[in-house]
Amino acid sequence: MGYTVDVDIGGTFTDFCGAQRGGQITLTKTPTTHYDLSVGFLRGLKELAKSFNTPLKKFLSECDAIHYCTTLGTNALIERTGPKLGIITTAGFEDTVAIGRARSWADGISGMENKDLARIMKPIPLVPRDMIVGVHERIDSSGNVVLPIRKDDVLEKLQYLVEKGAMGYIICLISSYYNPSHEMMIKEIIEEEYPEDYLGSMPVFLSHNISPKMGEYTRFTSAVVNAYIHSVMAEELSRLIWELKDNGYARPLILVQNVGGMKKVTRTRAILTYNAGPVSGLYGSRYLGDLYGMKNIIFTDMGGTSYDIGIVSDGQIRTYDFIPVIDRWRTNIPAIEVKSIGAGGGSIAWINRLFGNRLEVGPQSAGSMPGPACYDQGGTEPTVTDADLILGYLNPDNYLGGKMKLKRDLAEKAIREKIAEPLGIDVMEAAVRIRRIIDAKMGQEVFNEVVLKGYDPREFVVFACGGAGPSHALDIAPYMEVKKVVVSPFSPVFGAFGASTIDIMQVFDRSRMIKLFQYATQAYTEDYETFNGIVKELSDLALRDLQMEGYQPEEVKFALELEMRYGMQYNFTKVESPHLELHSTQDVMDICRCFEETYAQVYTPEAAFPQGGINIENFFLKASVPSKHVELMARELSGETPGPDALKGTRTVYFVNASKSLETPIYAFEMLQPGNVIFGPAVIEAEDTTCVINPGWRFVMDQYRQCLLEQVEHKTAAL
Amino acid sequence: MSNITYGRDFEVVQRLKPEPITPEEARAMENLDPTDFEIFNHKMNMIGLEGKETTQKLGASAGMRWGDVAFGIYTAQGDLAICATGIWFHAALGQIPVKYIVKHWTGDPSVGVKEGDSFFFNDPFYCGVHGADMGLAVPVFYKDKLICFTGAIVHSGENGATEPGGNPSTSRSRYDEGFLLPPLKIGEGYALKEDIMTMLTNFVRDPRTLVLDIKARLAACRIAQRRILDVVGKKGVDFFLGGLRKVMVETASAAKKKVMELPDGTFRHPVFMDTVGPESSLIKLNVEVEKKGDTLKLNFKDTSPMIPDRPMNTYFQGIIGLTMVYLCGWFFHNLPANNALLEVLEWEFPPDALVNASGDTPTANAPFPQVAVCQSMFHIGAKLTYNYDHLRAVAPWYHGFGFGVYGGFNQWGEPFADITGEMNATGAGARPDADGLDVAGSFFATMSDCSDVETTEADKPFVYLFRNFFQNHGPGKYRGGNGTGYGIVVHKVPWIGIGTLGYGSKFPASVGIFGGYAASTSSVQFLRGSNIKELQATNGEAIPSNMLELYTNKPLEGQRNMTQITTPVGPMMEGDAVFIAAGGGAGYGDVLERDPALVVEDLRLSLITQWQAKNVYRVVYDEKTLRVDEEATKELREAEKRERLTRGVPYEDFEKEWLGKRPSQDILKYYGAYPNPSKA
Repeated sequence: MGYTVDVDIGGTFTDFCGAQRGGQITLTKTPTTHYDLSVGFLRGLKELAKSFNTPLKKFLSECDAIHYCTTLGTNALIERTGPKLGIITTAGFEDTVAIGRARSWADGISGMENKDLARIMKPIPLVPRDMIVGVHERIDSSGNVVLPIRKDDVLEKLQYLVEKGAMGYIICLISSYYNPSHEMMIKEIIEEEYPEDYLGSMPVFLSHNISPKMGEYTRFTSAVVNAYIHSVMAEELSRLIWELKDNGYARPLILVQNVGGMKKVTRTRAILTYNAGPVSGLYGSRYLGDLYGMKNIIFTDMGGTSYDIGIVSDGQIRTYDFIPVIDRWRTNIPAIEVKSIGAGGGSIAWINRLFGNRLEVGPQSAGSMPGPACYDQGGTEPTVTDADLILGYLNPDNYLGGKMKLKRDLAEKAIREKIAEPLGIDVMEAAVRIRRIIDAKMGQEVFNEVVLKGYDPREFVVFACGGAGPSHALDIAPYMEVKKVVVSPFSPVFGAFGASTIDIMQVFDRSRMIKLFQYATQAYTEDYETFNGIVKELSDLALRDLQMEGYQPEEVKFALELEMRYGMQYNFTKVESPHLELHSTQDVMDICRCFEETYAQVYTPEAAFPQGGINIENFFLKASVPSKHVELMARELSGETPGPDALKGTRTVYFVNASKSLETPIYAFEMLQPGNVIFGPAVIEAEDTTCVINPGWRFVMDQYRQCLLEQVEHKTAAL
Repeated sequence: MSNITYGRDFEVVQRLKPEPITPEEARAMENLDPTDFEIFNHKMNMIGLEGKETTQKLGASAGMRWGDVAFGIYTAQGDLAICATGIWFHAALGQIPVKYIVKHWTGDPSVGVKEGDSFFFNDPFYCGVHGADMGLAVPVFYKDKLICFTGAIVHSGENGATEPGGNPSTSRSRYDEGFLLPPLKIGEGYALKEDIMTMLTNFVRDPRTLVLDIKARLAACRIAQRRILDVVGKKGVDFFLGGLRKVMVETASAAKKKVMELPDGTFRHPVFMDTVGPESSLIKLNVEVEKKGDTLKLNFKDTSPMIPDRPMNTYFQGIIGLTMVYLCGWFFHNLPANNALLEVLEWEFPPDALVNASGDTPTANAPFPQVAVCQSMFHIGAKLTYNYDHLRAVAPWYHGFGFGVYGGFNQWGEPFADITGEMNATGAGARPDADGLDVAGSFFATMSDCSDVETTEADKPFVYLFRNFFQNHGPGKYRGGNGTGYGIVVHKVPWIGIGTLGYGSKFPASVGIFGGYAASTSSVQFLRGSNIKELQATNGEAIPSNMLELYTNKPLEGQRNMTQITTPVGPMMEGDAVFIAAGGGAGYGDVLERDPALVVEDLRLSLITQWQAKNVYRVVYDEKTLRVDEEATKELREAEKRERLTRGVPYEDFEKEWLGKRPSQDILKYYGAYPNPSKA
């Protein structure tokens, strides 16, 4: 009997999705054990094994794969538990990371914080200045050696770092993205001096390997962050692997990567595990979307402190012009963008007295500790969750399946004292306003994200995930202008579920400027070799890598994306290349046309300016091997009317889109059957979430127990 | 009768405060539900943000690249209600061209304002700062009714002036300063007029960048127009007009409340500047703020006179704009940036003062006196806010600029003309509880960055020799942040033109507060016929890695020319180099109160020099281990305090002696009467 297990570690809970081949899917959550993540990990595995009525050892020995979205690296960064590292850089550029393109103080903080200029701070360096040395060498922007590197200079600087106690070396040289020879030479020198069998042997990280892209700041930070979390992750993961082996698991542990693929632990770069959970959730939405022919999806995940959003367009998850910030560090890895907006159930409502007592919600959050006032954990600020409780959406006795009792009186007190009384309104009206404002903000932020990427949100379906997602989705949807929402039974553990839907995939990227249409001559390039050479180089790397994972070349699929720009534009527009090789002017023109069409779609045709020249700046070659994914079991459809045991009763719920309270039927999700149809107003309570069906919306549970919500009656327009 | 005078409109530039509320707006505001309004407000800001991001994504100039961008939504009368930017002066000044369009072109049959039009402008008389800042605005109509404008302003730089980059330091009149356009219709029927575009591109050295930037602004305006029409379609015109006006009414009210909480009084901080363009000379800007009730009144009496043939003059609007930079960033940081904030400001500019340019006087370097006034605002603001919120009483960031301007053909044979991004690599001012950030950005463009060396080198014919911290901060109990020192070598082209701009070579551009010291003065080094290539081939270690090495133990050979920062553009051949410093922030508090542990930590991180540690901070420590000798340090500092007392004289004596002193007449050429320029 083959099983697969998918695990996603979050700040509060670790989520598990276990699947039996061709059969049952089981979900579970365990509290995340921050002191040692493997404790919660194994506890969850035990629960999964139990749900399959199998002892843990037998269960794990029959596991085909364990896919893991880990936050080990993020934790190491936040807690600053990484090793003492040394940086060897080009002399004259030792302060590159500290300079941080000047504005690094704004990375990783909210818009509100970065407007308060009297209080801004840059992040504390991961590698202090006295652990950074410069070697005399220089390569220019065309890859030519301007100042040759000298071995004795490298040895002298290396010796300094050794004496300072460096436990690893990061080599970050200017222009190494174009010509990495000097970086490679330094690595050779280090390995020659300290071969692997010496105790002084330390890992060496080359910036061009981690991020072979132009722009030294983000290349260097990518290398530094990767090196910083590398050893912590390696240690913790090897411990986990041994524990899994001890418990019967014989296969490699597979890590989910933020580029949208998976690889064995042994062949994964640490930095590519950052934010893998949300990326995994995005892939889960694409997988479910495929089942229904939904090509355009807005994936949302609303938790206590954040609201994550990602986009599937035309059935594809595209990489955008995205420079991810990891902790406080702007990097340049080809990650999939899942943007986090600082809004969630814990967002605090407050009165802005400067603006004549204007009610605002967020960006401050009560987080999970102390959390909303109704949690009775010491929180006194009114939050979105408190408003949800007052409005009747949440069942105080059934929150998290009854694991947490909510105190309505505390929610009411917080809203009354902090909002209602200062505004001269009643508590119910205050709660309505809180909900309207937070839902509008989230919806408008999503709208912006979608349109900034050149898409029309009206052509999209929303996937509402996370604990708070299904209870807010239908009030957020009008602000995104979408009319269809999917709520999955996997919503509360969607990251874990998504991991079961990801292929083996890796992205190989490289910066290289190619002037396809030249401004100076107003002619198309006839140099095809540069383009073809880079693609060949990247595909050779990919094949070598995947062959080492055990795959045959014929199994590998390639897709090429290019970052392009007009003339000297700073920002790039990413396009899918219609060709993997260039052989004619027509091929060049095809790529240019592809760029112009994408550009016009996103930025209006008036903005196009081909006469200014069209450049390729960055190559991204995606190499993937399709994998077997979890299979959802179709069930027989029963009638449209839910069974009597599904209806738990009624309660009074305020519906924003109806502007009034309605006596509302409450259903138990577990008792609903495929084929059931429910028209709003209604509330469906599941163990880890609550799905609110507004008046004018229809709920349908399909054969996979996925819930499709559709607007059938148009109410008022939302901004 | 036409209201066109074929000259400047002195009336419209005075209308910086919001226009009177129309009866239609007043009615609409009354009917706004507070929650609907909050949702509308957020939506408008989202549209503004989308406009800003779109503009920046599509543009090409250095300013566009580093984020020197503002995007706005204006009322139908031209007030700037929503503004997405970190360049706060645009929030005050971006409205003038739009008010000009409303006043002059809406009723003029030869021009008109119609759906699908687009207007371009860069005359600093209307835009406020300098000709390098170029803007574009489009009217938005709903069912034939003009409901608002959208607009984008960006520092594009090159405008065909006598020097590349749009800031000629050698200009002798405004006719040397390239094209300076009052609002000009450049597009109709949703299309740019190609004859106008051809004319504009014919004016400049780098036509491609000009076109890309114009198209970027236009695309952003059109996208915002689409979003606004969608909002109006859903909520109606009245709701939209009322909402937009309410944003401004609430902003003004909040600003007044904040100002009301500050103590009444008169606060002064004169600034001295040391350049008038290519020539070193002393000038004075006498800044006085009278705070009374909910109003701050600016007065510039006793400021040096306008200089008819030097580009150091500024229109008064620019001074208001840079005053807003301080207010928006450090005092009104929690308020929206729009021109309703100006409701708290009053101003009085003496006629014919340097800060109130008129006639044909050149203004290409107007940003210098503008930022100098802003430096005064840091000092005045610190005094004003100390009792209100002492953590906001901070020392000034670096204000003296210090950047390169260049033009020519790059290594790809393409024309270019622009400025170096390191203008945004200056240090922040020290704070009451913390040092200023090292290389924090530029105080007036805090959403901007200094770019990467590799990105710059990819399409500019340079090889950077180094770009590292330069220990040029102002010391203090808390020190200012360090700026950057960088060296650029001309590479792979026969020659290009390079010059530099800034001030503060002889008189510090940013002085400290509450006993803190000024940030260092700095100069520029032009090196021609250098030995750099030879050293690269034979002795790389002799090449300096930072500014300190260049000026101490690793000087380079060749024809060295040390100049004040503002140096006109001249030819630089392949292998020639220029070394420039972006300055540091000013210090806060007495250096003798600085924790010795912080001093040696700075030493360990190479953020200060040994000389500074010993002679400025008076710390005794072991040079090898950096261990502080606490007792000896205490003793040394006490001795220094005693020494200070011996140097001190009674105030009357000091004043008498001081007033008897007089700078050399050579440097007072443009000063006016000394010491009070108006007493001539």
